[in-house]
Amino acid sequence: MGVNAIINVNDVNFYYGNFKALTDIKMDFKKNLVTALIGPSGCGKSTLLRLLNRMNDLIDGTKVEGEILFAGQNIYAPDVDPVEIRKKIGMVFQKPNPFPKTIYNNISYGPKLMWNLSKSDIDDLVEQSLKQAVLWDEVKDILNKSAMNLSGGQQQRLCIARALAMKPDVLLMDEPTSALDPISTAKIEELIDDLKKNYTIIIVTHNMQQAARISDETAFFYIGKLIEYNKTGKIFTKPDVQHTEDYITGRFG
Amino acid sequence: MNRRQKEKLIKAIFFVFALISVVILGLIVFSLFREGLPLFKKVNIYDFIFGLEWYPTADPPLFGIFTLIVASIIVTIFATLIAVPLGVLSAVYISEIAPQVIKEILKSSIELLAGLPSVVLGFFGMVVVAPWMQETFDLPTGLNIVNASVILAIMAIPTISSIAEDALYAVSREFKEASYALGATKFETITRVILPSALSGILTAVILGMSRAIGETMVVLMVAGGAAALPESIFDSVRPMPASIAAEMGEAPYRSAHYQALFATGIVLFFMTMAFNLIADYISNKFRQVGSGTL
Repeated sequence: MGVNAIINVNDVNFYYGNFKALTDIKMDFKKNLVTALIGPSGCGKSTLLRLLNRMNDLIDGTKVEGEILFAGQNIYAPDVDPVEIRKKIGMVFQKPNPFPKTIYNNISYGPKLMWNLSKSDIDDLVEQSLKQAVLWDEVKDILNKSAMNLSGGQQQRLCIARALAMKPDVLLMDEPTSALDPISTAKIEELIDDLKKNYTIIIVTHNMQQAARISDETAFFYIGKLIEYNKTGKIFTKPDVQHTEDYITGRFG
Repeated sequence: MNRRQKEKLIKAIFFVFALISVVILGLIVFSLFREGLPLFKKVNIYDFIFGLEWYPTADPPLFGIFTLIVASIIVTIFATLIAVPLGVLSAVYISEIAPQVIKEILKSSIELLAGLPSVVLGFFGMVVVAPWMQETFDLPTGLNIVNASVILAIMAIPTISSIAEDALYAVSREFKEASYALGATKFETITRVILPSALSGILTAVILGMSRAIGETMVVLMVAGGAAALPESIFDSVRPMPASIAAEMGEAPYRSAHYQALFATGIVLFFMTMAFNLIADYISNKFRQVGSGTL
């Protein structure tokens, strides 16, 4: 277990029914770094991501073996409430999914459930979260308009702001820019770079350049196995495994 | 015949079939008005709708259907009050909470409920509910507003439940995941995200359930009691419009004033159910959520 690891994945196997989606995954995620999970579709990287905040609990017929430690505590221990885990480990999804509510209510939704806050505290939190997600200037005058009217890129930053409002320790991002145009993508990448000062970020991406640009560490998965996990610079210049190199250079996948 | 002609022919055939139901509806509405409107040469509309006396066979006959309208509205409202919580909550349970096995059982039993002929439900109300109610509450008759409302509610539940369930299913999984990912519990997710998102569909379900209840004939004919008087308590007998039409049409002489008055009652009923359907349409269009990810 690394000194500054915040999440330790220990020998995790994961099944959808009889299908084994992850095999013997063992890896540590370090605090305040951006870790990219890459690999071809179906390699299990999104599944692993969703294991980290127990989102796979929502799918019937799944089974987890092994343990995942978050701040030293096994989040799959029987006495752990997944709701508590999800408050500390936020998530941003592939497709922007704001609630069909106002921008303000999108942000305040989580905090209102979790804390007993005064109106002015919530106002502050909304402003602070939107500023963190670099969206405040664009929406400060339309906080009471539906979030559905925002552009895709704005919606995704709203979703990031919504996750940040819960003051999580870790932010999981499942291909957060795959549905966005290049300009919105650049904004989100800038934002990720900024956020890693305060958060640990784990991001699944299909975009090799993106992984190379924004991550500190990169893990390559193939058919449910962790093939190689190292510093991003190393993975993209001199990977140890031929397989990784083939994938990164586009020879397969 | 070449391909293009074939396409045209097929189009025409489908068009004719689609047209048939519209034409039939048009003819029914036409004959409804043709048979009913002549009444208003003899009775003015105000006296007809707001008149308190329904003595169609007296001399001179009195054609005031206000008590019938009130009866229809009252049993519909009470039936709605009973059926909406049951229908909507069962839909929530089926679509969001129930394990697969229970879900299947519940769904098929509610569908079975929808398949029960109304005369069977009416019979149940007559021979089981009515005597029980009469004895338990010491009433002059068990055929009354409460009994009719309960039986109508049973009929409306499947309509409300299945349409509300579709609306709940249609709530995108992304919203639910977003809510769970923020640390919301299942209950919080249902009440704050799923129900509001499905609101238009649920309201549509409620209104279609109401329109089902107000137009239902056999049940009210059998268990509402049939008294054409303004009710003073919920245990009074009433005579909703469909019951009046069904009970009297057989004995009204062809094209007599009585016959025309029954058709005119049908026109009123037609407008009421049409209003319900228009409202349902309006709601489902107006509050339809803009889909996520307008990229």
